[in-house]
Amino acid sequence: MKQGVYVRFTAILLIVGFMIAVQYNTVQKPESRDTRDIWAIRQDLSTEKQLHSELLSDIRDINETITKYENLQSDSPVQALNDTLSSLRKKAGLTEVTGPGLELIVEPSLEAIALGQNVTSISPDLLVRLLNEINRFNGQHVSIDGKRIINSSPIRDINGQTTVNSLIIQTPPFDIRIGTDTQEAAEKLYNHLKSSNITDDFYIDNLTLKIGEPKNEVTVPGFDQPINTKYLKNTSKGD
Amino acid sequence: MWLPLLGLILGISLGLLTDIQIPSVYENYLSIAVLAALDTLFGGIRAQLQHVYDDKVFVSGFFFNIALAAGLAFLGVHLGVDLYLAAIFAFGVRLFQNIAVIRRIILTKWSERKGTID
Repeated sequence: MKQGVYVRFTAILLIVGFMIAVQYNTVQKPESRDTRDIWAIRQDLSTEKQLHSELLSDIRDINETITKYENLQSDSPVQALNDTLSSLRKKAGLTEVTGPGLELIVEPSLEAIALGQNVTSISPDLLVRLLNEINRFNGQHVSIDGKRIINSSPIRDINGQTTVNSLIIQTPPFDIRIGTDTQEAAEKLYNHLKSSNITDDFYIDNLTLKIGEPKNEVTVPGFDQPINTKYLKNTSKGD
Repeated sequence: MWLPLLGLILGISLGLLTDIQIPSVYENYLSIAVLAALDTLFGGIRAQLQHVYDDKVFVSGFFFNIALAAGLAFLGVHLGVDLYLAAIFAFGVRLFQNIAVIRRIILTKWSERKGTID
């Protein structure tokens, strides 16, 4: 008799506990309400559409690769694989790239020289800001003072010296090379950089950013250090 | 003694871990159901202490009270009268009464035991 009572109480308490926990969850984490207005939603929609078209073009590229593989299967699969490998290496930034682009030169500002102020190394924050500005307008391949920027490139302060890829960059002047896909993109980037206030940000730090005219041929060096793939794993076959 | 407590902890952790959320429209129903469940629970404890506990009454009361409370709230929403307040009031009062009775019984038992020891 006594045992049965306990079992029933336990079952009821289990249900009560569950209900309380669900209620707690609901009260503590309410679903966030959508408070965007029509323009914000339109903007989001346009970004999504852009993403959509980018994904579509990616799919087309991959389909092309597949057809290439299929065509070459009898001839030389090695050649097809090598093609893919080299295009991936190019994408990752491991190869030297020559093509349309811009060249920026970072120099100490004339005022700083005239006033005899000490020109220190450029701050990492400013470099990151410039890089974000370049990335926003499709600067595909970037090197700072000969150090190629890849997806995992660190830009940081080590013992008071600004480093890119853990290599110290020299005190200004030095150059920044940007490679773009097309001449048009290079011009767009040029206009954007000219109109943005990034040059003012450089001026605050006693530096000037000289933005060179778009060129047909800019050579961006490749990334020459080993890539640290600590967190990457092989996928199992078939994935 | 510890089995019911284990059940409670298990239920709470189950609810927290599954991370279930209900739409905010039904929040009222759930809160009232929780109240009804607590009411039945304390009623059951009281009955057990007063030696009038009955399995059928307890289990049927638990589900019936929950259903009634949710039904009342549902009716209230559709009639435009806050009927769930009636349920909250009824269960709230009974909860206090039951807890008061439980307290008295436990106090009496405690003082009796003290009396026998002395």
